[in-house]
Amino acid sequence: MHRTTETVNAVFQPMAHAGQEGWQAQAEVFWEVFSVFAAVGILVGVVVVAYMMYNVYKYRDSEDASGEVESVEVGELPRDAMSKKSKKLFVSLALSAVIVIVLVVYAYTALLYVEAGPEVEEDAEMHVHVEGYQFGWDFEYENGHVEAGTMRIPENTVVRVTVTSRDVWHNFGISELRVKADSIPGQTAETWISAEEGEYLIECFELCGDAHSQMVATLDVMEEDEFEEWYEGTNPEDETEEAEG
Amino acid sequence: MASVKKYAAIYVVLLVLAAGKFVFFELDQVFGYWDAFTGVMALAVAKTALIMWYYQHLNEEPRSITYLVLGSYFLVLLLAAAATFSITSGVY
Amino acid sequence: MSELPPKSSVKRWLVTTNHKDIGILYTVTALFFLVFGGILALLIRAQLWGDLGDGRLMSGLAYNEAVTAHGLVMVFWFLSPFAFAFANYLVPLQIGADDLAFPRLNALSFWLYAFSGVLLGISFFQGGTLDAGWTIYAPLNLPAYTPSIGSTTAILALFMFVVGVTASTMNFLVTIHHSRAEGMGLMDMPLFTWSILLTVWMMLFAFATLLAVGLILASDRIFGSLFFDATTEGGSLLWGHLFWFFGHPEVYIVFFPALGVMFEVFQSFSGRRIVGRKWVIAALILIAVQSFLVWMHHMFLTTINLEIKTLMMALTIGISLPFDLIVFALIYTLIKGRIRYTTPFLYSFGALFFIVVGGITGVFLGAIVLDYEFRGTYWVVAHFHYIMFGGATALFGGLYYWFPKMTGRMYNELWGKLQFAVFFVGFNLVYFSMFAAWETPRRVFEYVEAMTPIHRVGTVGAFILAFSFLMMFYIFAHALRHGEKVGDNPWDYTRTTEWAVPSPPPLENWEGRPSFEGGSLNFVSKATDGGHASAHDHEGHADHASIWPFAISVSMLVLLLGLSGLTVWNGREITGVSTGYAAVTAIGTVAFLGSMLQFGREGFSAPQPAVAERWPFEGMDKNKLGTWFFIASDIMVFGAFITAAIFIRFEAGWTTWQPVTDSIYGLVNTFILLTSSFAVVLALVYARRGSKKGTMAAIGATMFLGLSFMAVKAVEWHEKFFIDGVSWATNVQYTTYFMTTGLHALHVLLGLMIAAWLIFRTKEGAYMDDDRPIELFGIYWHFVDIVWVFLFPLFYLF
Ligand code: HEM
Ligand SMILES: [Cu+2]
Ligand SMILES: [Cu+2]
Repeated sequence: MHRTTETVNAVFQPMAHAGQEGWQAQAEVFWEVFSVFAAVGILVGVVVVAYMMYNVYKYRDSEDASGEVESVEVGELPRDAMSKKSKKLFVSLALSAVIVIVLVVYAYTALLYVEAGPEVEEDAEMHVHVEGYQFGWDFEYENGHVEAGTMRIPENTVVRVTVTSRDVWHNFGISELRVKADSIPGQTAETWISAEEGEYLIECFELCGDAHSQMVATLDVMEEDEFEEWYEGTNPEDETEEAEG
Repeated sequence: MASVKKYAAIYVVLLVLAAGKFVFFELDQVFGYWDAFTGVMALAVAKTALIMWYYQHLNEEPRSITYLVLGSYFLVLLLAAAATFSITSGVY
Repeated sequence: MSELPPKSSVKRWLVTTNHKDIGILYTVTALFFLVFGGILALLIRAQLWGDLGDGRLMSGLAYNEAVTAHGLVMVFWFLSPFAFAFANYLVPLQIGADDLAFPRLNALSFWLYAFSGVLLGISFFQGGTLDAGWTIYAPLNLPAYTPSIGSTTAILALFMFVVGVTASTMNFLVTIHHSRAEGMGLMDMPLFTWSILLTVWMMLFAFATLLAVGLILASDRIFGSLFFDATTEGGSLLWGHLFWFFGHPEVYIVFFPALGVMFEVFQSFSGRRIVGRKWVIAALILIAVQSFLVWMHHMFLTTINLEIKTLMMALTIGISLPFDLIVFALIYTLIKGRIRYTTPFLYSFGALFFIVVGGITGVFLGAIVLDYEFRGTYWVVAHFHYIMFGGATALFGGLYYWFPKMTGRMYNELWGKLQFAVFFVGFNLVYFSMFAAWETPRRVFEYVEAMTPIHRVGTVGAFILAFSFLMMFYIFAHALRHGEKVGDNPWDYTRTTEWAVPSPPPLENWEGRPSFEGGSLNFVSKATDGGHASAHDHEGHADHASIWPFAISVSMLVLLLGLSGLTVWNGREITGVSTGYAAVTAIGTVAFLGSMLQFGREGFSAPQPAVAERWPFEGMDKNKLGTWFFIASDIMVFGAFITAAIFIRFEAGWTTWQPVTDSIYGLVNTFILLTSSFAVVLALVYARRGSKKGTMAAIGATMFLGLSFMAVKAVEWHEKFFIDGVSWATNVQYTTYFMTTGLHALHVLLGLMIAAWLIFRTKEGAYMDDDRPIELFGIYWHFVDIVWVFLFPLFYLF
């Protein structure tokens, strides 16, 4: 894992330093890759469509049409078309191949970065286990405390998130932070979060039953101290006693 | 069409191969689990080839029919192997 | 029953087996489902408008049903059948054939399709239809989460649809590989026919997998087996793999015919031949092959490992390159042409625009980091509508293009253009707005407030789009009555041979035998056909009518409808049988078997052409070729079951499982089946020698051995059920064991029925000068033996 992170950081170095503490959150990575793709995509789209329109107009059938018709006898086999020149075709193909491959290789380095997660010291990292169910989310902390409906995490801290499901297939996603993971019964998917203070919307992105639309939760990113205080106050021992009693 | 003799000979070979499969798993002091597994699969492929080639007469049909059937087997193999590989923890 | 009533009679349309009639039936039925799916779409869009004063239009459940049915109807009951309407009508005309290879089977495919749609319609009234999305993810697809009877019915409807499709696939494969007129090599085929050929090749493997998926799911829902319930053993992911192994090729399956239409229309209205024809064909072949290698790009966010994701990403990007080539070829074809802006051309050109947009946004999805965010959002919805509905756009162009051929009348060109303009505007309003609202989760109607205006634009667009379809129906209805009559070839620059015959073409398509010897179409008249004439005449008279395809399909509908309510015989006890449903099942079963028998007994002659191009299957009888295609797809069906068994066992920990049954049963049955294979070979030897007694004895021996196999199986299962007290509902290991070997046992049973029929016919002296049926039975029976060669180790040794 760490090996790949290093090579990736070599590529992502400049941005890595731009973000706080030397790494980028997923939203930043996404935004950057998306911008590049969008720029290239729009450019290519505009060029192709403009070229289409230009030709379809230029070679329209009219009095002074410049084009000419090839042999059009009904029932003639298209053998004459087999030998048509296709050099231009391959030049365009090669060009598009270069664009697409460069884009994807670039995006792949970003993927390896996201897969590995930022390099942080072990104890700076936190872990929350998410369990989806019809229709809500449970968040389990390292001390065993389970919180329903609201996920609380400290700001600017890398939080490792593991996601599973109690019943059917859901998908745990926070649009604003560009974080997403499948919530599949019997499987555990992984992702990570790091965010500024604030509240974010958690939604379900996989059809899971009649209240799928309402299957939301809140991510509450708290100030360090505030979070500590809250976390100290959670005592799973008490909770189980309460539940049993 | 081959002669009855030839068909009979193939039949005998098939019986022996089938028995061979069983034997692999009976002699568990000699063969480990995965050795036996591999051996049995090899025998199964050999049997399949014999049945297809001589009994289903692929040897008399255009070669394309053989490719058609191999295509199907390949896709099954691909599906089973790739799906199963996808849930391993990978090679790293 | 072979005389065909006139077109004005209803009966004609129930009994016809002619490819052009069937093409018309497909067109009308597919358009009906377009309206059905379209109404569901309007309901969805209305729900997305927001609060309508006193809450939303539909409950969450109803919304999910609408979304699910919309997807299923559009993909399965509209798009593919619409494409195959043209395929039915035009492929025989384009390759110079009289009809499809198996006309009666073709009628059966159609009726199975039509009545499977009726079954889906019925499911709405059985406590609500399926509400798990068209991707039907597990375990939401199980009765525990989707308990309505209608959900089961919808799955069975899909299954019935797939049975029809499978038959149709084999029919087209045999037709194109077996009935091309003299002189028409594969590379000489029109591009529309090429696209259909590659489509059916993909369907052969993909739909067989879906057939297995349908069987597995139906077994989980009706018999309580545990494939997809086994979530700790990877049941959910198993669904993902099996479904998308079918599902990715499926998106090309619905898309290829549209490309075929675009090639034809671009050529016909620019007066130019396609640029780089052979490279375009090569690109299509490449895509068809690669389509089976990228399915996990629909599973990037699941728990599959990084290596396989990387591989799938590379292959996904790889598959976009041949697409690029095709797009460029289409554009370059226009250059130096004399382009006519007819309605079909506008539609095809519009489709090209949609595909460019859809393709570019697809590349975004192929990049995994981006897909991580796009997954499950409106980005995906927009992407695939641009591509798939873009494909449908080309098909509407095809409808305008071939309308004069199919009806003999011309539509109003000005209205057509106007209609296209409305369509184009509506389309972009609906789907482009989705890119703007892409963060909205898919299949959700309560989205963040800020997105409301964008979704409302989409809703307005949807109603404009719907209006454009009303216009289209009006234009065609008007043209049917008042349209100008057209001759053979109303367009000037066409070259394919459907334009060489009258509009609409006569029942038998051609006067004389078409031939492309010498590079263009000419007819070998019966008088000058020399040696071939007698062969042609000898096979002579073709039948065009049979009621049994219709009867089989109706009875299958009844049978499946009954089954839908028969939940759960879990191997030990029957729970939840309603006598009503049981009675319906019984009636359906009897009617089904009866009409199948009549279908088999009816003499129906569909002569194969004496002279035809058959590469690469020269010298084969059409029935044998069909049998081999059937075997190829059956391999996929068993392959899916075996994959399920392997995948689940692997996830559970391979060596933690021991065989659940004594290997001696498997071994004995292996010897029995091998011996029966030998007996079948002997039957053929005796038939060739003309020995009636020998043949009967050998088939008799086969039957005896087959029955012995079943007897051993009965002992084995008896032990399981009544001594060990286990069934397939005990745990997932038993599920894989019982269901896979059970499917095999069903194959043995079917074989036994055919064998009984063969003995009966041999006794009547049937096969002494034509032993082909015995050979075909042998091919099937050996295949059943081969399957056992693998099942024996998998369930009795490993
Ligand atoms: C440039 C070529 C293409 C690329 C790179 C591409 C890529 C993808 C990817 C990666 C997805 C998965 C998105 C997700 O669920 O997260 C997807 C979805 C989809 N694509 Fe494409 N695609 C391409 C062309 C096509 C074509 C030609 C069709 C159909 C004719 C198509 C139909 C679909 C459909 C139906 C889905 C969504 C299925 C669902 O989840 O319901 N795509 N595409
Ligand atoms: Cu959900
Ligand atoms: Cu795909």
